[in-house]
Amino acid sequence: MRLRVGAATDTGLVRNLNEDVYIAHVDRGLFLVCDGMGGAPAGEVASKIAAETILEELNRVSDEHTTPRTNGEQQYLPQTNRLAEAVRRSNSAVYHHAQEDPARAGMGTTMVGVWIRQHIASVAHVGDSRAYLWHNGELVPLTRDHSLVEAHISAGILDRQQSLHSSQQNILLRVLGREVEVDVELNEVPTQPGDFLLLCSDGLTRTVEESALSRAICELRHPQQICDFLVAAANGNGGADNITVVAVEVRSSLPRRVFHQLRQLTTGGPRA
Amino acid sequence: MPKVILQFEDQTLKDYALGHRVTIGRLPDNTVVIDNPAVSGHHACIVRDADRFILEDLRSRNGTYVNEKQVYRHALQNGDVVLVGKHQLRFDEMAGGEAAAEHDEAALPNLGDTVYLTTQKHKEMLTKLRSTVTPGRPAAAPTRLGVLRVLSGRADHVEYRLEARTSFIGKSEDALVRLQGWFKPRIAVAIGRNGDGYVATPSGGKTLVNNQLLAARHTLKDGDVLRVGGLTLEFRTK
Repeated sequence: MRLRVGAATDTGLVRNLNEDVYIAHVDRGLFLVCDGMGGAPAGEVASKIAAETILEELNRVSDEHTTPRTNGEQQYLPQTNRLAEAVRRSNSAVYHHAQEDPARAGMGTTMVGVWIRQHIASVAHVGDSRAYLWHNGELVPLTRDHSLVEAHISAGILDRQQSLHSSQQNILLRVLGREVEVDVELNEVPTQPGDFLLLCSDGLTRTVEESALSRAICELRHPQQICDFLVAAANGNGGADNITVVAVEVRSSLPRRVFHQLRQLTTGGPRA
Repeated sequence: MPKVILQFEDQTLKDYALGHRVTIGRLPDNTVVIDNPAVSGHHACIVRDADRFILEDLRSRNGTYVNEKQVYRHALQNGDVVLVGKHQLRFDEMAGGEAAAEHDEAALPNLGDTVYLTTQKHKEMLTKLRSTVTPGRPAAAPTRLGVLRVLSGRADHVEYRLEARTSFIGKSEDALVRLQGWFKPRIAVAIGRNGDGYVATPSGGKTLVNNQLLAARHTLKDGDVLRVGGLTLEFRTK
């Protein structure tokens, strides 16, 4: 299995600063999007600290040293718990920076991260940055926003269509760096060749519909082109916020791809 | 003209000039509409009585508070803070000039200012949310536990319980169902457990489900038979 990645981030048309940060390390299979909050210069600092801490922690901590915090985490693979631990440490890092520097008090950041190892994508998130899995034309959400409107949707008081027009969209229930501890939500999904994973900040998902995300992947099938197209689409719809997209394509290994292409050439058979 | 200023989390949402009678509640026929589950349909009202403004609780579910004390009827004084659900209404008697918002322009908060609700406030809110949510919408039923029963082949158990979020069948040490032999794949199949059930994803080697090659994700159904690495396994939920 091989991965191909594309990424794009843009300030949008309204803001002066880009507080979003992404990390896309194909060789490690690590992809992150963080959307900072707290105004200049704190927001961009928070997202940067969070992303860098997660990266460092994953380099440092090994699977064996990660013990599940709660019963719930025992259900997850060691790699997923390791990702969760790195995110918790990034929470402390942002929190302590904010405590030490009054100019940065109150800063925080969302984060969504996907770590792909041995065909399994471990997903961790805090806040309203999202991850999706696309396969066979279907876009499956891998995260659920930690926001007030999402809580209202799951309580049955708001439907998804109404939520897009809610004035409370910007109220988050979880962020990194605002409290001593953070509850990290986890997910796992086995991947297979042909899958795409999409990570994005709310600057994309509030301006571009999910059906359009799916269509972009379906028609372009190229990670960088997908990202560029989606950023342009968000700006086309007003670009009210910073926009960040990371797209990861899961491909079969090179010999297998060559084999399939040769077979297609020689027999005209279907392409796997 | 005196007014009340609607605030949420230190953010000013809108001003309302106080006329003869102003009503506050969740339903759209109120003067001050607060679309929040902690707020009753018709929660409270403010009525003008000569030169005073009287706040009255309309038997709301979660109560009306002034300066953190619960009130049923209260003559507002300049600077009083009325709490309705999690929203605050600040009474400003001295406000001069034209009524700022007799008309209904939507007071959309600036997209830029993301607001964070602290865990404490969130918990209070959820408690209220639960008390206001009408029953009848069942919570997502937890997935029933799936098992793989060995029908034939050499395995170290008769039955494997699919408790983890992701279970593997393969030669790997991490595998729940461990395949023996030189040419077996490290991971042949990954079985994911989510809210909707169990999904088998092929990962390496050749796996048959009900005698068909497993080429893509497959949602497992009771009675599905998997053939992988010399084992025949039956999927069942309990």
